[in-house]
Amino acid sequence: MVSTTPATHAPAAADPGPLRPPWSARALIAAGLLVAAVAVTWLTFWWIGLSPASLAAGLDDTARLLRRMWPPDLPGAGDVAWMIAETLLIAVAGTGLAALVSVPLAFTAARDHRGPRWLRPAARVVVVLTRAVPTLAFAILFVRIFGLGPLAGALAVAVHSVGMIAKLLTDAVEEADPVPAEAARACGAGEVQVAVSTVLPRVFPALTGIVLYRLDINIRASAVLGVVGAGGIGVALQTALGSLNYHRAAGIICVIVVLVLLLELLSVAVRHRTVRHRRVRHSRAGRSAGDTTGTPALPAGRAPHDVGWDRGRVLRVAGAVATGVVFLVSLWSLNPDPGRLSGAWPNLRAVLTGMWPPAFSGDLLMAVLESLLMALGAAAAGAACGLVLALLTAVNTTPWRPLSAVVRVLLVVVRGIPDLVYALLFVAALGLGPFAGFLALWISSTALAAKFFADSLEQLDPLPHEALTSVGARRWQAFAAGIWPQFVPSFTGNGLFVADLALRESVVLGIAGAGGVGYLMQESIATLRYDTTAAIVIAIAVVVYAIETLARVARRHLL
Amino acid sequence: MIGDPVLRLSEVGKGFHGTTVLDGVSLDVPQGQFVALVGPSGAGKSTLLRLVNGMHLPDSGTVRTLGENPASCSRSRLRALRARVGFVFQQFGLVGRLSALENVLMGSLATLRLPRYGVMSYPRALRIRAVEHLDRVGLADRRFQRCDTLSGGQQQRVAVARTLLQSPELILADEPVASLDPAASVLVLETLKRISAEDGISVVCSLHQIELALATADRVVALRGGRLVLDEPAAGLTAERLREIYDTAGARDG
Ligand SMILES: Nc1ncnc2c1ncn2[C@@H]1O[C@H](COP(=O)(O)OP(=O)(O)O)[C@@H](O)[C@H]1O
Ligand SMILES: [Mg+2]
Repeated sequence: MVSTTPATHAPAAADPGPLRPPWSARALIAAGLLVAAVAVTWLTFWWIGLSPASLAAGLDDTARLLRRMWPPDLPGAGDVAWMIAETLLIAVAGTGLAALVSVPLAFTAARDHRGPRWLRPAARVVVVLTRAVPTLAFAILFVRIFGLGPLAGALAVAVHSVGMIAKLLTDAVEEADPVPAEAARACGAGEVQVAVSTVLPRVFPALTGIVLYRLDINIRASAVLGVVGAGGIGVALQTALGSLNYHRAAGIICVIVVLVLLLELLSVAVRHRTVRHRRVRHSRAGRSAGDTTGTPALPAGRAPHDVGWDRGRVLRVAGAVATGVVFLVSLWSLNPDPGRLSGAWPNLRAVLTGMWPPAFSGDLLMAVLESLLMALGAAAAGAACGLVLALLTAVNTTPWRPLSAVVRVLLVVVRGIPDLVYALLFVAALGLGPFAGFLALWISSTALAAKFFADSLEQLDPLPHEALTSVGARRWQAFAAGIWPQFVPSFTGNGLFVADLALRESVVLGIAGAGGVGYLMQESIATLRYDTTAAIVIAIAVVVYAIETLARVARRHLL
Repeated sequence: MIGDPVLRLSEVGKGFHGTTVLDGVSLDVPQGQFVALVGPSGAGKSTLLRLVNGMHLPDSGTVRTLGENPASCSRSRLRALRARVGFVFQQFGLVGRLSALENVLMGSLATLRLPRYGVMSYPRALRIRAVEHLDRVGLADRRFQRCDTLSGGQQQRVAVARTLLQSPELILADEPVASLDPAASVLVLETLKRISAEDGISVVCSLHQIELALATADRVVALRGGRLVLDEPAAGLTAERLREIYDTAGARDG
């Protein structure tokens, strides 16, 4: 009989005590997630009719399409430059607008908000809703309201980004030390004054980081906005595919990939620089901490009321001015003349009034379910494949270093191609339907999961593995006992995160005809059935929010 | 009981990237002896211990561990040899998220074929033995506690229990108490000493505290700058003399 009371120091040989560990919530959750992942994957395969034969046929068709795309046909240099510029300007304008809106929104949504009671939940709803609905979904809507072109694209980027920037900024505001704000209140400052002069300066570095991170994401997103007519380089891709000019489509995809790869290099460089910058600052702070009495507070010759135009200040101000100018140029490039904006007003009213009451239907729910299945099945399959690739690339698990480098480069390229582009290609190769969407999501989930997994594998403590090697364990035994148990939390967390991202993508892949609810969404707007559109947006928001919450809860209990 | 040496180093030299770390080190360790390996940090203690179980291979000279030469072993022979040699690390080498029992069970991996994950994936007989070893280090009642919630001294005793499950003929301990407070250090060293005496297992334990070495070991071996500068029974040694020899050896080096 197995008892659950801990053993005492009784003679161990006579009664070893319990040999079966007590059940823990952690083990149950992990087992539950595993069973759910397997079940969902199986259900997805059944739903889209995936079998070895259909997969082989699909690969065949894809290979044929790739042969038809070869050689890529690049547009002229001027065209390329213009398309890239428009894409970048959409991203900058959208991100900038989002940042401007996010600051007050984040302060309203933060825990210590002191305004009217109803404002905080309202702000939270805006944050959740804008974050849950993907950029492309907003883009379809805004193209209807504002007409074709980059204005709709930039607004879509802006609205979706508001959610993420505001959420991260809310966290930063809530983490900021409350004492300075209390001190300012004690001096009689108003709430807005408190926010602007005590909290904002302290969250400003966080804000900069968040905005840059979001700009990176938005440039990638802007590259495909053109598929729904919202400007940028995607317009050319859509035109080429629509006219079956596959050579040109291949050329445009090459441009997108190069653009994204350059961006990746740039963001790696920026990250390195900021890390180094921080280290330098820290070591300086450490050195000067002891001798504060010896150094004067002001450099010699500076009057106490003079802010002092030293090098750092000049650079900071120049940077701020340049950022502002670029932002204004990007806004101007959207061509937002007053006539056009006022012309959009009736459209906006028609859309908003047409949305009530939302019209749910069985078809709609089936389409949402299809999106959900595509995403979860692709994420599960992608996590499995990504794990294998991560084990090949991570420096502490790779069987062979050169292989690791090759896989790493390949993964960056694969991640560089937006999901929607994969979906367009698979639809062109295999025809309409969720099979194309599943393959697109599978590829992107695999690449994403492989990167996340490899990064976290490399951060694990190497000592248990070394200890087990010295015990005489085989390679796989040392992995299973020394590395895998450490890796489980980040494997689960990152796997759930990949599922979350795949879900956001899968609801828009239907725009390319690759299954799921995206197609219905586009159709409902084209046929002016805004009540259906509203129902779809609500359904998407609910499903995305539910999965995100589930992922958060699971992560918390597993760590 | 003194038979063939468990460990024999003859004129062993080892370097990394052109720097010499060990230089002509010879050492015999008979069965059942507790040897303290002392020396300042960077003296080559870890390198020496790693040569013994084949985690490093010597550049010159030969290492014979339990009658085998790690340098000429095939992969599976080396694995079999390592299974007979316990290794205790300064930083324990435990998987913090797993229970003490599961960490101890990992000591038996070399006797099992397949990868294992979870306490219940190990045979019942091994689980019973693992609990017995946890009992020997005084932690049987902590068997299902996560290792990252144990104190440093308790973690190191779990690591010792893991080593015991290997049924080792030789235990190598690389600064096993360097991250522990004085009381826990004494407890861990006493545990090692008791096991060495009860089971007749040789222990080579690197330490940088001279007093602990004198209090625990049968024999003290001192390394400095990669050279063996002292090798005497602990009984005749005083801390002052050990320090003195240290200093004169240092003066000769410099
Ligand atoms: N894997 C290695 N690669 C390069 N140098 C090493 C390596 N291991 C040890 N060393 C060097 O060998 C010298 C001795 O190290 P070690 O054996 O760890 O000394 P101890 O354990 O006595 O402090 C040190 O100078 C260290 O930098
Ligand atoms: Mg060492």
